[in-house]
Amino acid sequence: MSASTPPPGIRVAGDTNVGSVRTTNEDSMIVDPLRGLYVVLDGMGGANAGDIASQMARDAIAEFVMHRRSTMTHRQLLEGAIQAGSATVFAAAQAKRERHGMGTTCVACMMIDPARALIAHVGDSRAYLLRGGRLQLLTRDHTIVEELVDRGLLSPDEAERHPYKNVLSRNLGARAETRVDLVELELKPGDRLLLCSDGLYGYASAEAIQYILGSGDAPDHVARDLIELALRGGGGDNVTTIVLEAPQAVPSGTQMVRTNGAVAWWQRRQRFLHVAKDRGLTKNPIVRGLDPSEALDLVGLSLCQAIFHDLEKSTGVNVWTFAQTLAGGWFERGGDWASLRGMMDILGTSSRVVVDEIRMIDPQLGFLLDIAVSRALVVAELALGGLLAERLRQVDTDLIQLHSAQQETIDGTIEAPDESDTEVGGPTADKFIDRPTIPFLHPDRAITNSGESNEVITAIEKTLTIARARTSPRAELVKQVLSALEAIATDGGGNFATSVLAARDLYGIRTVDDNGIMPLFDALDQARILTASSVHQIQVPELVRARALRAISAAHQRLVGAATGLVLEAAAPFTDKLREAQAKTSELRDQVAKAEKRRAELERKFATGVDPSLPWGSRGTTEW
Amino acid sequence: MSDRDMSAAVQVLRDEVLDTVEHGDRDPPGAEVFDALLRALSIGGESVPGLDLTLHESVARRLAWGDSEEVVLQDAELMFDRLLVAVDRAFRDPADRMVVVEAATQVAVTVARVVSLAAVSRAARDRADRLREEMSQRQLHEVLEKQKATIARLEADLKSGFR
Repeated sequence: MSASTPPPGIRVAGDTNVGSVRTTNEDSMIVDPLRGLYVVLDGMGGANAGDIASQMARDAIAEFVMHRRSTMTHRQLLEGAIQAGSATVFAAAQAKRERHGMGTTCVACMMIDPARALIAHVGDSRAYLLRGGRLQLLTRDHTIVEELVDRGLLSPDEAERHPYKNVLSRNLGARAETRVDLVELELKPGDRLLLCSDGLYGYASAEAIQYILGSGDAPDHVARDLIELALRGGGGDNVTTIVLEAPQAVPSGTQMVRTNGAVAWWQRRQRFLHVAKDRGLTKNPIVRGLDPSEALDLVGLSLCQAIFHDLEKSTGVNVWTFAQTLAGGWFERGGDWASLRGMMDILGTSSRVVVDEIRMIDPQLGFLLDIAVSRALVVAELALGGLLAERLRQVDTDLIQLHSAQQETIDGTIEAPDESDTEVGGPTADKFIDRPTIPFLHPDRAITNSGESNEVITAIEKTLTIARARTSPRAELVKQVLSALEAIATDGGGNFATSVLAARDLYGIRTVDDNGIMPLFDALDQARILTASSVHQIQVPELVRARALRAISAAHQRLVGAATGLVLEAAAPFTDKLREAQAKTSELRDQVAKAEKRRAELERKFATGVDPSLPWGSRGTTEW
Repeated sequence: MSDRDMSAAVQVLRDEVLDTVEHGDRDPPGAEVFDALLRALSIGGESVPGLDLTLHESVARRLAWGDSEEVVLQDAELMFDRLLVAVDRAFRDPADRMVVVEAATQVAVTVARVVSLAAVSRAARDRADRLREEMSQRQLHEVLEKQKATIARLEADLKSGFR
């Protein structure tokens, strides 16, 4: 059988990363959907020879497949290509002294047809199959220890602890010819294949790989997430992943939305604009001064495009950007909230009308689009929420500054202020925020550092300076936490206002989900670990050290409480909206029940000619 | 002081830190946080996953019994404030105080993380529920429209005497 063009419907993506420790990437890969060839190579050998080996083998394999694919069977073609790669690397290693000993591993997949794949490998790069949610290893590492286990000379437990467990018994480049293991695989709809270098499985558990591979995300996301997983596990080696997905038997809901749904939506853009115009889009103050057709293009068509692109890619980024741009521009011009709300309502209801019309024609697609478009509109609402939070924070800061300036003016006009009116070292900000914006964070809670000596304050500053110096340059959020801790812990007049403002700064614009929240708490935790270890490095008496740690810890606790309060505040509107929706549904149910009762009465009357509501039961003569 | 001794020494402060008198044989507010602190001290070091899991359970139980996330966090804050005062008084050696304060901060961050995650999960559930409610509303509207049309037709037929 000769090699054919790649089967349709297969989705594939590959990604590679140098890792967190190494400076050069010695991995290479081939992702060639046209020829159905996918290869991961992991080079080895000192003096920059590893990357040369893997690249040489990659080029040789690709060239061999390109020129011989019409004359050989798949099995001959793949094995021959790998042998060609080995011969090329071996010849190059022999030619130059400094390249002696270079080589590369190789795991390759060649698609025979949509339901069959051929896997070949040499070395310890691996191929995995995910079927029915279960991860299976398709290859066996070619290491000396594995071969000893095969021969019964070592137990698997001993192999795990063996000092030479990573020494390869085969690779491309050690000899001109190498032994290639080949396995042919029947693929089922939805199966996923993973080709990877040891930089992945050496730094990530099989369970985690299985979880991400089975997540249902697109292969490009999965390939990237797997690399992220390895980096989080330490990233001690170069890491390369290729993910292939066999075609689905039946298109999933997501696929339907991405293809038919997006097209159906885009085809009805004129209808959307028409409905939006009817509902008053062109009269909204946001587009005042614009020609109606220009207003429709600028706002309506932009949203239409954003929704289309988000449907196509199953993301929310375009609608998010649209909402932020619209609201950001409006607020910058000094616009009000009511107009923006009105505009969003018009856009929301218009899109629902369009989706309902699609639903009339194709109920299944309409149902899926209903969910997807609702999701897009929720994303827009979240973007608006983020902007509002940002503005609120700005208003807080402005008001505090205004109040401080005003207070200074008042203080300046009073020559001898009354002692009883003066708080000990309290900045005016504390007086200003007399009501907490976070319900459970009370300003009357004990001031954690009142009366701390200068020695302790200096110790706090030194501790946090050391902690900052030990923070990774990229960990901006951790540095921000450390600065906030210093501000709170050294705030002699109490730390309520400081902690609220610092928490608002840290919170920034976040989405109310795990991805939005977790980095914040990771940074808080990281800062805690850094301060706890840094405090032991300052040269002060033990008692001062303990006081400093106490003040920092109390500040930390304040900051964490305030940050959590903001998360809870952000989450609260979801519950309120749900309650409103439930009340409305309940009201509608009552109306339906009443109408049903009325209909039943009328039908009975229609059938019998007797109005059951009349006491005498005669033929109906009642006027309705 | 060993980890075990330290845990036992803090255990003595339980009645001082928590409102045990008011709550009799029931767990007083913040008890789950105090217990988490004892666990953190007894393992003597970083074990966030273990701490997270047990705290998740305790906090989830409180939320299930109807306490809000705000109340859970407020109780934890109160416990933390009282603990700082009690530790200053109870431990003479500054090094011992530091061990307890470090552990307490670890627990405070973990509690905040757990409570935030609970709130975020609730928000996600509420958002999904709201979408379902809105879908139901649309269906109910359709039903209502059909019913109104039927009623109008029946009323018209009856009025015209058509049977």
